[in-house]
Amino acid sequence: MVSRQENNTQRIAAMDEEAARLGLKPGMGIADARAMHPGIEVVAEEAKADRRLLEALADWCDRYTPLVALDGAEGLFLDVTGCVHLFGGEEAMLAGMLERFSEQGFRVRAGLASTPGAAWAAARFSATGTILQEGDERSFLENLPLAALRIEARTISGLESVGLRAIGMILTAPRAPLARRFGSLLLLRLDQALGEIEESISPRLPVAALSVERHLAEPIGLVEDIERLLLLLSGSLRRDLERRGEGARLFELLLFRVDGAVSRISVGSSLPLREAGPVGRLFHERLVVLGTALEPGYGFDLVRLSAFETARLDMPQADLAGAGNTQGEDIALFADRVRARLGTASVLQPHLAQSHVPERASLFVPFDGGAGPPQPPIAHNPERPLRLFARPEPIEVPLTEVPEGPPRNFRWRRSVHRVARAEGPERISPEWWLTSAPDVEADETKTDKDERETKREAAQKEAVAIETARMTRDYFRVEDTEGHRFWLYREGLYGRKEIVPRWYLQGVSA
Amino acid sequence: MASSAVARETIVSLRHQIAKIEGRLAETFAGENGDVHLRRQDGLPQGDFLATGAERFDAALGGGFPGAGLTEIHATGMRDAGAAAGFVMGLLHLLVERTSSPLLWVGLSESFREAGYPYPPGIRFLHGIDPARLLIAQAQKLNDVLWIAEQAASIDGFAGILLETRGPSAHLDLTATRRLHRRALDAGCPLFLLRQMAVCEPTAAPFRVVITSAPAGTRHLLGKPLARSIGPPAFLVRIDKNRINPPSEFILEWNAHARAFSERAATDPVPVVPASQHRAAAAAAPGTILAFSSPAGSTPAGGQPSGEQHPAHRGHG
Repeated sequence: MVSRQENNTQRIAAMDEEAARLGLKPGMGIADARAMHPGIEVVAEEAKADRRLLEALADWCDRYTPLVALDGAEGLFLDVTGCVHLFGGEEAMLAGMLERFSEQGFRVRAGLASTPGAAWAAARFSATGTILQEGDERSFLENLPLAALRIEARTISGLESVGLRAIGMILTAPRAPLARRFGSLLLLRLDQALGEIEESISPRLPVAALSVERHLAEPIGLVEDIERLLLLLSGSLRRDLERRGEGARLFELLLFRVDGAVSRISVGSSLPLREAGPVGRLFHERLVVLGTALEPGYGFDLVRLSAFETARLDMPQADLAGAGNTQGEDIALFADRVRARLGTASVLQPHLAQSHVPERASLFVPFDGGAGPPQPPIAHNPERPLRLFARPEPIEVPLTEVPEGPPRNFRWRRSVHRVARAEGPERISPEWWLTSAPDVEADETKTDKDERETKREAAQKEAVAIETARMTRDYFRVEDTEGHRFWLYREGLYGRKEIVPRWYLQGVSA
Repeated sequence: MASSAVARETIVSLRHQIAKIEGRLAETFAGENGDVHLRRQDGLPQGDFLATGAERFDAALGGGFPGAGLTEIHATGMRDAGAAAGFVMGLLHLLVERTSSPLLWVGLSESFREAGYPYPPGIRFLHGIDPARLLIAQAQKLNDVLWIAEQAASIDGFAGILLETRGPSAHLDLTATRRLHRRALDAGCPLFLLRQMAVCEPTAAPFRVVITSAPAGTRHLLGKPLARSIGPPAFLVRIDKNRINPPSEFILEWNAHARAFSERAATDPVPVVPASQHRAAAAAAPGTILAFSSPAGSTPAGGQPSGEQHPAHRGHG
């Protein structure tokens, strides 16, 4: 028995058949149930775990159709339009599905109909495995209670209070008063169940543009086998892509394990791909990284390769020697493989930004195969160090020659460097236009509003000036007695008592 | 025809013996016209060199750094990593001008964190390399870094690869470096292995160069040197492993405007303390080239002990 916290009381959320035989009902208080049967076993509900289980089942149902949607906390919608013939017809498909579920230890109820509403009702209010032919919805629904309509409990009790207890009664009742009294949702659900209004389920995962799959009589578990199969699949995917004149930038490999678990492995590429070789190599890198995390267990019995994000791809014409201009593609493919193995941050491309603050002037963006974002025009080319630390490293400066001058010596990473020569300062002010103005509290003692406002403005100006002085940097290029060249700066100006200048080393030069 | 080949063979073996007696390295021979190098390097394309432009230095390398294959660059201290990277970028800038391919800088995340990330505006200023032509790759583990470098070297897409590692490592042995070397040779792409704080171990690279920062040259104003200015960066380059010539040491300067290396002439003194007072001198080669007399014997005036040499706890000694 599973308990659930509801309005400050523990109630029965779900229970097994034995508990039902004892006369307990879902929604009953746990305290009452315990009073009736002290021997019952109560487990707290875990909504998240239930959700995960349902999603895993939805993953597993991907083997029947890519259009799988979650329905509340306990149901799944499968749109099997066009997929049925792959499994030998509707009856065979439904029977096989139910059998596989029961092999996995689940008791499921299933119904198949031409509208989602009717299928929902068929799964819940008739013998499991019911298949409704198109056109039979009306006669099927007529005898069902109102709960089969996917409407709120409040509406149901409202309808029952006026004597409408079965769907058939609503079907014959005049529509306009119903809509006025119980809302349009009731009629919408009715029409949807009857197929008069089109209803589409929203699949929980994006649907692949193309996918190929292979059912295996004998499950496979070795990575080499998966890779070999992958080459076959991507070979047939290539033919489909070629017919459409497209390539794909995102591939997903779905491995359906015999016991129902589904592994998804996806690789992205910066340029549209079509050939089987590169796709196989990208997956190879991913599989190498996954290694034992793949957990083949008893093996995979269905392998599917899907292509997403297709884009136009024209075959470049090779020159007479048989070699095309593939240099850029080589690099893009190289970057893809590195990223597939080591993550997106492993291949980076510098991007210069319009900023005079050194650490903001250049940033690294993941390499996307192209030229990257457009680089701003080079306004000026200032002298800068060759390497910059991820963040400026504090240094100790005991002494400077003149207050605003370079240090005589400094301590960085526990060793003292004596400065032999220094150049500077190069003063770099903070980008005050990027930060918001500091908040200044108005002086409440002043009664005159104008005077108060003027004072507040003055105080704000003062605060901005102090902040600017605090953040202003004076950069020096220094060389120590051993010939190492550093780029360091002092943050904060002298001359204000509230500012203590601090020294940082930001980069090393060649 | 056959007899002349046999005769040449005899001459070559005799020259080997003479070279041994004279104490020269056997790979170097004076040819008929005096300056032909007979070189025995595995598959190195003759004539494809990355010449620095400093003539005596290039001559010591037999024409320059190889234009394909592995070259080992050592930075002894973490603080020399900037100089070493600047030196390699100076070599690679030639390639960037020649081709349209990008450069790849692969490194351990740790080495970037400790020695600083590449800073494209600085590279643009100093070496004129457009940031769009630079790709950075990084990984946490050395094995992954080596894998990236090997993959990059086996495609024909990069103008040059800079592989940066940090500390001594058992993975970078003869086998691994030979793999990298072969891959880079086949792709015709130079691969510079920049090792921070590593010991010199046997590798497959034909050349090993140890780079230390040297005091920079001075700026010139109206033709006169400007006192206490920091001009072109200078490198103390020790050719540590060289199959053609004995080890030697040079001071090279990089001119950011001309974008060229030049050897610091003796007439262009830099009025600061010398760079290498604590370093062991290069092995004196018998009667052959040496860029400058070793400064190790005499401590010059104004030589200041560095902080590392005199830790605080030793006091005034």
